[in-house]
Amino acid sequence: MGLREDLERFREVGEQRRPDLTEFIREGDLSGGDGDIRIPVKMVDLPGFEYSQRDMGGVGQGQGGQPQPGQPVDVPGDDGDDGDGDGDGDEPGEGEGEHGYYEMDPSEFAEELDDQLGLDLEPKGKQVVEEVEGDFTELTRAGPNSTLDFEQLFKQGLKRKLATDFDEEYVREACRVAGADARDVFDFCRGENVLVSLAWIDDAMGDVPDDERDRWASFDEMAENVERTPINQRIRRDGLKQVPFRREDERYRHPEVEEKRQKNVVVVNIRDVSGSMRKRKRELVERVFTPLDWYLTGKYDEATFHYVAHDAEAWEVERGEFFGIRSGGGTRISSAYELAAEILAEYPWSEWNRYVFAAGDSENSSNDTTENVVPLMRSIDANLHAYVETQPGGNTINATHAEEVESALTDLDNVAVTRVGGPEDVTGAIYDILSTEDGS
Amino acid sequence: MKDDRIVARREAARLEEPAERARELAERLGLRPYPVNYWVVDYDEMNELIAYDGFQTRYPHWRWGMKYDRQRKQDAFGMGKAFEIVNNDNPCHAFLQESNSLADQKAVITHVEAHADFFRNNEWFGRFAGDDEEPDAAAMLERHAETIAGYMDDPETDRGEVERFIDAALCLEDTIDQHRALAAERGGETAEEFADVDIDERLDRLGLSSEVRDQVFDDEWVEAQEGREHLAAPRPDVLAYLREHGERYDDEEGKATEREPWMDEVLELLRREAYYFAPQKLTKVMNEGWAAYWESLMMAEEGFAGTDEFLTYADHQSRVLGSPGLNPYKLGKELWEYVENAANRREVVDRLLRVRGVSWRNFHDTVDFDTVREALAPDPALEEVRSDTLDRFDPDDPRVDADGLERARAGEIDADRYPWAVLSYEGLCERHFSLAKPAHRGFLERVGRSELEQAARYMFDDEVYASVEEALADVDYGAGWARMREVRESHNDVTFIDEFLTREFVVEGNYFTYEYSRATDDYRVASTDPDDVKRKLLLRFTNFGKPSIAVYDGNFDNRGELLLGHRYNGVALDLAKAESTLERVFELWGRPVNLATIVTEYDDHELEVARRRGREPDGEEVGVRLRYDGDGVEHHELDAELEARIGAAEVDYDTKPDDWLA
Repeated sequence: MGLREDLERFREVGEQRRPDLTEFIREGDLSGGDGDIRIPVKMVDLPGFEYSQRDMGGVGQGQGGQPQPGQPVDVPGDDGDDGDGDGDGDEPGEGEGEHGYYEMDPSEFAEELDDQLGLDLEPKGKQVVEEVEGDFTELTRAGPNSTLDFEQLFKQGLKRKLATDFDEEYVREACRVAGADARDVFDFCRGENVLVSLAWIDDAMGDVPDDERDRWASFDEMAENVERTPINQRIRRDGLKQVPFRREDERYRHPEVEEKRQKNVVVVNIRDVSGSMRKRKRELVERVFTPLDWYLTGKYDEATFHYVAHDAEAWEVERGEFFGIRSGGGTRISSAYELAAEILAEYPWSEWNRYVFAAGDSENSSNDTTENVVPLMRSIDANLHAYVETQPGGNTINATHAEEVESALTDLDNVAVTRVGGPEDVTGAIYDILSTEDGS
Repeated sequence: MKDDRIVARREAARLEEPAERARELAERLGLRPYPVNYWVVDYDEMNELIAYDGFQTRYPHWRWGMKYDRQRKQDAFGMGKAFEIVNNDNPCHAFLQESNSLADQKAVITHVEAHADFFRNNEWFGRFAGDDEEPDAAAMLERHAETIAGYMDDPETDRGEVERFIDAALCLEDTIDQHRALAAERGGETAEEFADVDIDERLDRLGLSSEVRDQVFDDEWVEAQEGREHLAAPRPDVLAYLREHGERYDDEEGKATEREPWMDEVLELLRREAYYFAPQKLTKVMNEGWAAYWESLMMAEEGFAGTDEFLTYADHQSRVLGSPGLNPYKLGKELWEYVENAANRREVVDRLLRVRGVSWRNFHDTVDFDTVREALAPDPALEEVRSDTLDRFDPDDPRVDADGLERARAGEIDADRYPWAVLSYEGLCERHFSLAKPAHRGFLERVGRSELEQAARYMFDDEVYASVEEALADVDYGAGWARMREVRESHNDVTFIDEFLTREFVVEGNYFTYEYSRATDDYRVASTDPDDVKRKLLLRFTNFGKPSIAVYDGNFDNRGELLLGHRYNGVALDLAKAESTLERVFELWGRPVNLATIVTEYDDHELEVARRRGREPDGEEVGVRLRYDGDGVEHHELDAELEARIGAAEVDYDTKPDDWLA
């Protein structure tokens, strides 16, 4: 079918023309979602003479009432910074924002990033043993009927039958030995390895007609004249009749427990959401954190993320809100590390690779850094602690958190402090962070 | 298609009756659709058909793969499930997804019948083939596919080169003269061409080797000799112009040389396809609205959805019409309802103004609208057509289909399921008279004085009726549908929206325009004025919502360069895209290509002042000529005379209020 070929060809063309990864991290739309990384490939589609989207404007429809002129509108598909996303619910018209996406999965992303930044981070440290179900080759004594190993049950039953079966005719003849009582017969049979019970002999003795009681003078005479029929012949003659199934013979098939070594990572992303973190700073944080998340997702088998927002207090949020939140309030960075420590308590250091990434504009309440944050950072075991200072437009005087952390923790090799002033610094910061661990 | 599959076959059998009945009903309602062949396809086939624009075979190209990929993902995320796709052909081919519920299938079938009617009767579609030809689209596209696949597989040609050539042509697929028939464009200007035999061609006939030729007749000489065509009027069909006059750039010889024959052919095929698909792009709103209108009438009002399916249908419809933003189904359907209501109102007003004592001045005072509404309500007998009411009908009543009545009485037609089968077109007109519907209550009353005056102006026999009742008895219930059919014949989206988009529609829908603000670096609501919204909307539909580009000169600067002009309407080009498009145009022209356009420039001082005062900066419109010569794009100043030629001063699509950020 022709379309299969067209699809293959599209993949090839997409591969060639998708935007450069570092450029994408700096400028692309990172809101693509949690699972797959969606890299817009508007570039793939053919160009054409088109209006400038900004100059063209458009028509939208208000949800619940006529909007006021001057109110911001979210327009998807704009290349540049779009509105602050006030979420007034107004939908711009359809038609725009219809892009082809070239999708990358996180491991592909991590590989590319390694390639482009020259990184070589091998996931290491803890390896958690994960029990994975293997084939149904193990057996247990209980289980659902469908997993009952009948072949095994039957075999056991058969063995049991073979073991308990005896040549009835032979025993009956033994009962016809003159003068023998049940006990004599039983002793004789046991001597002959015939597994018969005394009770059975009692019954059989009762059944022997009186005139046959002394057919044989002695056991020896009887043994000489009566031949024992071997079990296989008896089964052939009489059929299997009943196989004695016993509950204790029941075995249920059970998946084999395979031990799989899996590399797990937990990442705590911390962000200052206080009033001083304006839109540009927030965006920069998103640009640094999102690729880091993707990268680690791609590197590890299992990745868990926690998002902590803080001003003077800290609280945990969903990823969707994380990069957008703004609050008033002051800043106390230690609050976030306290919460991080609490969260990480559930991810034992012996089993998990842990990363704590924090970002903010370096402003902190006085002495909080040296008195609280630094000791906390020392006490939290992690593969990597990173602090990303986003300071577009230079430092302000009281923004010293990054500096203080840097100087206080020089003895540790798992601490990275990096500064981002604009989108052009983003890939550098990512490199700094990841190479800190790489080199350790 | 694989019609040997059991699910598809079972589904097809189940749909046979609804399809037949839908056709009968559509025809009874006055539609004249092309015959439709229905196909039941599975999910994957559906996505393939959508990628191929509703056809089974297209030429090999990665773009279809991209569309397929996109469609598949959309579907997987539950957005935009495709229920059907129908193509414009005679007969039409409609493809239904086998997983649709029966209610969906019925809705889709009624929808498709209306599309088939639109394809057949709208003049823009007629233009592609000419009056007496059929579109014969499936066969045409298949031939094209074979031809192009042939070139790709040909060991003499490089597959990559064919693909690149197609890419270049596709970049220009919308720069055609979509308002003219393909046939007319082809026949034009032959006389002119014979007079102007290309000088390169004459040199070629001398049979010299290219070394000798280049020595003796160097480029400068050739250029001096060339009395190339200077166009009197701009040519909007850029693809045609490039096919006729374009060359290719030969890397080895370092200059333009004649194209390979396959290139000419590919260009022509793609241009033909562009013309074939243009009407669908030109009438998207009308066509979808038309289909949504008749679908709703047949499904809901004529009970084509069974009582048990009604809810599923209502859900289906609300999903289609209810998606937010500006959706062509909803916009189109509401415009069509307006067309219907307006024509019906015109008819009723026309009758009422002929009543003695009623004039346009006293219309609202003398006419009692409640009485009028009662009088206009359809005959109750027509509203209640059921198997147990058949006795009420007289076969001689023009509103009754005598044959249908007889068959219904004989039990051959189930009048409970197909009540319309008992009625004639006339009966159906009355049964569905729009002004009597609760949804349109008050529409008549809202008639404006100017409309009344206009209706009365040339009315001479204005005292025909003694009473309102007498006048209303003469009302032609078919006026609305007749008008809709007229509009359906001649309009396209631009004229349709321009003429029928009402203030009410804009206000009730809370529509607004938005513009980009340089001061705040984001988009802002600009205006809620209905006229502004309409203008903005028209910008989106005029020329496929793309800037209009035409050939202004084929021998620009006497160097054989191509000059394209952007007919500037106040909205600037996306320059980055324009530049990369220009690079593709070069591949179809072979010599340097130019594009004249106008950009708005802001000087730093003005930006600073505006920023400080919190207002939008005032820019200056400057003409610019982009030139691509095979290496890079240069920006040149634009000749004032050319700037005047490409600018259109009288249009303004900017809807920003002066003090909108205050």
